[in-house]
Amino acid sequence: MSVMSMIEVKNLVKQYRGAKAPSVAGVSFSVEKGEFFAFLGPNGAGKTTTISILTTTLAKTSGEVRIAGFDAEKEARRVREHIGIIFQNPSLDPQLTAEQNIRFHACLYGMCGYRPTFGLMPAFYRQRVLALAEIVGIQEALFKPIKKLSGGMQRKLEIIRSLIHTPDVLFLDEPTQGLDAISRRSLWEYINDTRKHYGTTVFLTTHYIDEAENVDKVCVINHGKIAACSSPAEMKRSLLRQELILDAADRSALTDELSSLGLPFTVNGRVAVPYQDSAQEVIARLRTKLTTLKIHEPSLEDAYVEFLNRHGRDAA
Amino acid sequence: MSELVFQRKKSRIFREVNTVITVLAREITLFFKSPGTAVMSLAMPLMLMGAIGGNLMQNMAGGLGFEFGDFMLVGMLVSMLFMVTTMGMTSLVDDHEIDFNQEMLVSPVSRYSLVVGKILGAGFTAIISMTGTLLVGLLMGVTLPLGKLLLILALSPLMCLSGGALAMIIIGLVKSKRTANLAVMLITMPQMFLSGAIIPINNTSGALLALNRLMPMTYCLDLTRAVLYAGSPEYDRVVMFNPTVNFAAITVLTVVCLIIGTFFFAQSEKNR
Repeated sequence: MSVMSMIEVKNLVKQYRGAKAPSVAGVSFSVEKGEFFAFLGPNGAGKTTTISILTTTLAKTSGEVRIAGFDAEKEARRVREHIGIIFQNPSLDPQLTAEQNIRFHACLYGMCGYRPTFGLMPAFYRQRVLALAEIVGIQEALFKPIKKLSGGMQRKLEIIRSLIHTPDVLFLDEPTQGLDAISRRSLWEYINDTRKHYGTTVFLTTHYIDEAENVDKVCVINHGKIAACSSPAEMKRSLLRQELILDAADRSALTDELSSLGLPFTVNGRVAVPYQDSAQEVIARLRTKLTTLKIHEPSLEDAYVEFLNRHGRDAA
Repeated sequence: MSELVFQRKKSRIFREVNTVITVLAREITLFFKSPGTAVMSLAMPLMLMGAIGGNLMQNMAGGLGFEFGDFMLVGMLVSMLFMVTTMGMTSLVDDHEIDFNQEMLVSPVSRYSLVVGKILGAGFTAIISMTGTLLVGLLMGVTLPLGKLLLILALSPLMCLSGGALAMIIIGLVKSKRTANLAVMLITMPQMFLSGAIIPINNTSGALLALNRLMPMTYCLDLTRAVLYAGSPEYDRVVMFNPTVNFAAITVLTVVCLIIGTFFFAQSEKNR
């Protein structure tokens, strides 16, 4: 049985008016239903341009984009019915209260008819708003004007707004920018719960690479082209090896022994010994008494930085 | 979830009407949250009707064959609706600057509903200004019969829609507040003088006449004057067209301007 693609992009090209080169130059990828997908890349690589085309707010130059089975250009309205988005820049009305911003959004998405006050809105709307506000911790700020809220609070509000209509595909364009560590964590817990409960497909762009550590698939875009696309584990495996971090009271004895065993190592404050399959095999061969023994698992961020170091910004 | 899904499936017409109401409600909320806008919307009639209108009444009233005060009051009412609605449409530029247009445009509703809601929201302020104009007129001794006044009030949303739709053609493309403010002058001033709002245009000819016939305000003014002068001996001297012609012209011009303006607006946000 084939799994339905919620996002399908084929040979997507976008060249802005007056630009000499395309910002997105023939990008292709797909995201399956319920998948958690991270779209990474350095500043100016084409991430926001791609997400804008996918969310129908920007016209493409050529190529094909289908979201939830609908053509993003010819069936833009159907696409919009299935998506939620947190934009890179805040898009709240600063004159309205937090709740009024959510109400405006909920009414445009057809969740309920407009009512002039929160109290007059349907019970399911009120319950959902209060529940979401509690999850991201902005209950106290719900009825305050946006201009009186901190940047972090505004971001949390945008998160509530993007989730209020339970979209099938959630686009997150650097969603945790400006959030403190606790808010980031609670946000990700909620997004993961939403994903599991409703099978929401999540498309993420972020500069916090650790946020993409648990995604199903990572694509790296560089200079408008897909430079790599795989699972985080595959990406780490292909770029970095696991290492044993060792040290001994007699460090020279340790390095002499490693040399005699033919094991590669580096010394940079401590002794790092890369290994392929089993750390146990390396440790079992050592006789020098160790004072430090750690296994270093490379992070996705390590792999991402290594990737950009190897390929530079011209990788393609 | 099932309740949400059920809610989502409500009819498309309901959703579009709801969109217009939601956008309109936002504009009204913003009006009441901005005392400056409220004060200015009431100060405008003092300037237009009180100062300009009063001066015209004192210097131009003779030899027209009809009461200039009534003629001018209608002109000021319709001008006020067009001018304040056009000014209100510049809030699209504000929304662009705070990225709120993105929030509206990514929603699964017709762009026409968004624009109509926006125009009617701007029209709300315009109707407040129109009421102020009536009050200033009252102080100047120029009044309208209650029945005719109510008819004019009933027509005012249509006139706001017409003025706002025309404004959309230019303001929909504008992305800076300074340009938008200039655009307001560009849109409203020629209409005020060429469509016969404050000075009769019975002898207008050539290119100016052609422009006059292309302006929605011409027909809005004529329709409003037809309401006011209905059954009076001055009717033929003041009113140019049959009210049906006026109504049809307003409808056609509004729809055409709305289509062009909304297209420009949506495309300018999307095609970069």
